[in-house]
Amino acid sequence: MSNCSCENPLIPQIVEVIKIVDETPDVKTFYVQKDNGVPFDVMPGQLAMVSLLPVGEGMFSVSWQEDDHLQFAIKRVGVMTDELHAIDVGQRLGVRGPYGNGFPVEKCKGQDMLFIGGGIGLAPLRSFIKYCFKHREDYGKITIIYGSRSYDDLCFKEELFEKWPQEKDTQVYVTIDNAEEKWDGHVGYVPAYLEELNPDPQNTVAVTCGPPIMIKFVLQALEKMGFSDEQVITTLEMRMKCGIGKCGRCNIGSEYICLDGPVFDLAQLRKLPPEW
Amino acid sequence: MKYFKKGQIEKIIDRLAEKADVYVPMLRGQQSGFYSWKSYDENYDDLIFDLLNVYSPPKNIVLPQTEKMYSFDQQGQEIIIKPEEIPVEPNVIFGIRSCDVKAIEYLDEVFFTRTFVDEFYKARRDQVTIVANACYNPGTNCFCKSMGVNPLEPEAADVILREVENGYVWESKTEKGNILTKQIEDLLEEKEVELYEPNRFVRKVNYDGVAEKLKDLFDHPMWEKYSDPCQTCGICTYMCPTCYCFDVQVKNWGEEGYRFRCWDSCMYREYTQMAGGHNPREAATERFRNRFLHKLQFFNERYGTPLCTGCGRCVVACPAGVDIIRMIELIKGAEPSV
Amino acid sequence: MNYTDQIREIASRLLENGQVDMVMAWEKGAFDYQSLPYVARSLEDIDKMIFDDYCVHNLSTSLLRYRDSNEKIGIVVKGCDSRGLVRLLEDNQIKRERLYIIGVCCSGVMDPLQAMIANSGFSRIKDTSGLAAKCANCIQPNPVIYDELVGATQEARGPANRFEKVSEIENMSVEERRAFFEDVFSRCIRCYACRQACIACDCRTCIFEETRPQWVGRETSISDNMMYHMVRSMHMAGRCIDCGECERVCPVGIPLMLINRKLIKEVDHLYGPYEAGMVYIEGQKPPFSVYDEKDQDDFI
Repeated sequence: MSNCSCENPLIPQIVEVIKIVDETPDVKTFYVQKDNGVPFDVMPGQLAMVSLLPVGEGMFSVSWQEDDHLQFAIKRVGVMTDELHAIDVGQRLGVRGPYGNGFPVEKCKGQDMLFIGGGIGLAPLRSFIKYCFKHREDYGKITIIYGSRSYDDLCFKEELFEKWPQEKDTQVYVTIDNAEEKWDGHVGYVPAYLEELNPDPQNTVAVTCGPPIMIKFVLQALEKMGFSDEQVITTLEMRMKCGIGKCGRCNIGSEYICLDGPVFDLAQLRKLPPEW
Repeated sequence: MKYFKKGQIEKIIDRLAEKADVYVPMLRGQQSGFYSWKSYDENYDDLIFDLLNVYSPPKNIVLPQTEKMYSFDQQGQEIIIKPEEIPVEPNVIFGIRSCDVKAIEYLDEVFFTRTFVDEFYKARRDQVTIVANACYNPGTNCFCKSMGVNPLEPEAADVILREVENGYVWESKTEKGNILTKQIEDLLEEKEVELYEPNRFVRKVNYDGVAEKLKDLFDHPMWEKYSDPCQTCGICTYMCPTCYCFDVQVKNWGEEGYRFRCWDSCMYREYTQMAGGHNPREAATERFRNRFLHKLQFFNERYGTPLCTGCGRCVVACPAGVDIIRMIELIKGAEPSV
Repeated sequence: MNYTDQIREIASRLLENGQVDMVMAWEKGAFDYQSLPYVARSLEDIDKMIFDDYCVHNLSTSLLRYRDSNEKIGIVVKGCDSRGLVRLLEDNQIKRERLYIIGVCCSGVMDPLQAMIANSGFSRIKDTSGLAAKCANCIQPNPVIYDELVGATQEARGPANRFEKVSEIENMSVEERRAFFEDVFSRCIRCYACRQACIACDCRTCIFEETRPQWVGRETSISDNMMYHMVRSMHMAGRCIDCGECERVCPVGIPLMLINRKLIKEVDHLYGPYEAGMVYIEGQKPPFSVYDEKDQDDFI
């Protein structure tokens, strides 16, 4: 459950942008800091509302927390994110949170982890992936399957190609939708690649995030491979405004994505109306 | 029984207004609603304790349609945030009906419970004393009793007024109510009066089992059919005493500005429109369905009651005649499609 | 005025021989004074269909829901409503061959909304037996476009000068006018019922929903409200068919037709003679949808 520390959960704290990393042509990771630390502690998969004050607020998954800063990988999709992509290091932003339940890091202990991501969907997964590496002994084998439209659109390339494959008992599989000259890796959609790799459901938790169409086919593929609904976890997205389960719009059935989600297992999702 | 004559009512409001902002039911031009006694103009306004209810619900007293949250000033890369100071003057809602009192109880549930407390709401709500006016004559489109509201015994009221022959009985229910009683003690008399027998309801509906049944009706073709007349305007949600959804928006001139929240409506397309282009409730039918499911199923699952107090405003105000009483009946009669 | 039998007969015929997939008309609500928009999709639905004195709604607006589909639609329209169909056809929102228009010569209707308010305890007004306010200025009781006509041709009821109220406002001083409009617009709760009920509002993305950029703020403040109404009314120029639905549905009584009529008057004066939707000529466009070198511009 959320553990917002501020007095008024709708009023942001001010943070400074200390580093900006260009991930892809339309994704940047913003490192933000408050008084040489973090504005609040976040669990993997939790959300925070980031505001560029004169422009707007947007809800984002925190893609990683270090002792002295939070990281947000943000794709340019609208008014607010357009403006956000134009800022420089040193810019002050508002953040409030953390919101939402986050990934079930405790429940997954002792399990093999299968992460399946598409596009910017790797941002929330990354917080869980890095958490697993940080607490490496708590988790079994780690498999990461990730795809994007093109090579340029792959997020977190350094980690993807350099760092994560070096981790103990870890396999990283990367694919892109269409063949390109500079790419000699796998070509094809994520769900198809997943079926090709055919991971063993035994003692495994699958965590997936990506565009709705990818998720749909990944879920079908996992089911076919014998993953039970309880073994499959995803994180949802809806338009959000308050983050505290009051403003109404992010409901799917009687659940609020900002408060009860964004992370659900498939068994929970199947009980909800099919609006996800 | 504590009692006062009808002719005394303005005196009583005047007295209460010495220590609080008192909201009273008025007709103001073509509008009716709860307006501050301070703004009462006898040439223009008309006190309407004799009418069934005001058309605009009193929710704006605790949840203003537009509410500033904080202002900011960005200079270069620096930024200053200044939280809005919410006016903390005590206020009294005087003459509110049971349906609207119940609506405030529901808002309390939303804004005070389930993990977070909404501080803006709390600041206003804490200052409210409720003087309810028990309802002995339900209107043509009232169905509060069907939705579990007792028109004679509004639970969250601090004081209950009961209209009797030529006057009102004043019945304090809480400590807050006792404070008001003290303030007007000399205007009240001790008198045994006969209470009216409540009149019957014209319209009734049986809500039993509806929330449960709706679980199997999400994909039912009836939503397409019954949403035909709906124009997807926001009247039903804005006139509803319980609808609480809000939007958060910014107003700025250059680098300076403020963030505010304002009522929003699930009937609008923009309500769920995501920045990337996807909209889970794009079609009018989907929005229409969500509104009824929220009121009759989802809220019930989350908070244990429907989000409807049977005040009848949406039934009256819908330009296309969409009628929640009829919807409940249609839901009860629907055959699950699978 | 009760044409229930005629309407049912036509609708049955159309649905039976597959000429249309649905017929838009009315049904009765919970009260005698309540008639509601209704869509019949099969013969079983016909029994519910009615046409009586409370069929006040302009159904042509509902056609927008079907502008991207292919169903053939039967639709019942009164004189004023039929002008809405002309506007939709002019704006290429729907194809003429998809419509079967059942025109009703209208002797005036009553407003179920006012009757509901009066009878439900929210108003001091008790008598709602008169014609709907919007009928007082009727200039077109007979359909201007139809495939089949019901009822006998009616005389227009409009007063000698339907711009009388407009003149009153024009004769105010600037300060008086400002005070007047501030007063009426301050009431607006931004429910957008006026837009939703309006046949001229056929834009796919409304400017008020546009977020890149957001043109009009969402505060219910006098400045945002004014902006909303100014933009709304300017968009009515040359498009408003005087059906009065916006003013009828407004829950806070904003005199929207007063503003619309000022625009009607000005468009007629500057680019006229012109009244929107009075006659359908294929390819014809309203004044603001075409450019003409002779267009007046001395007011710029």
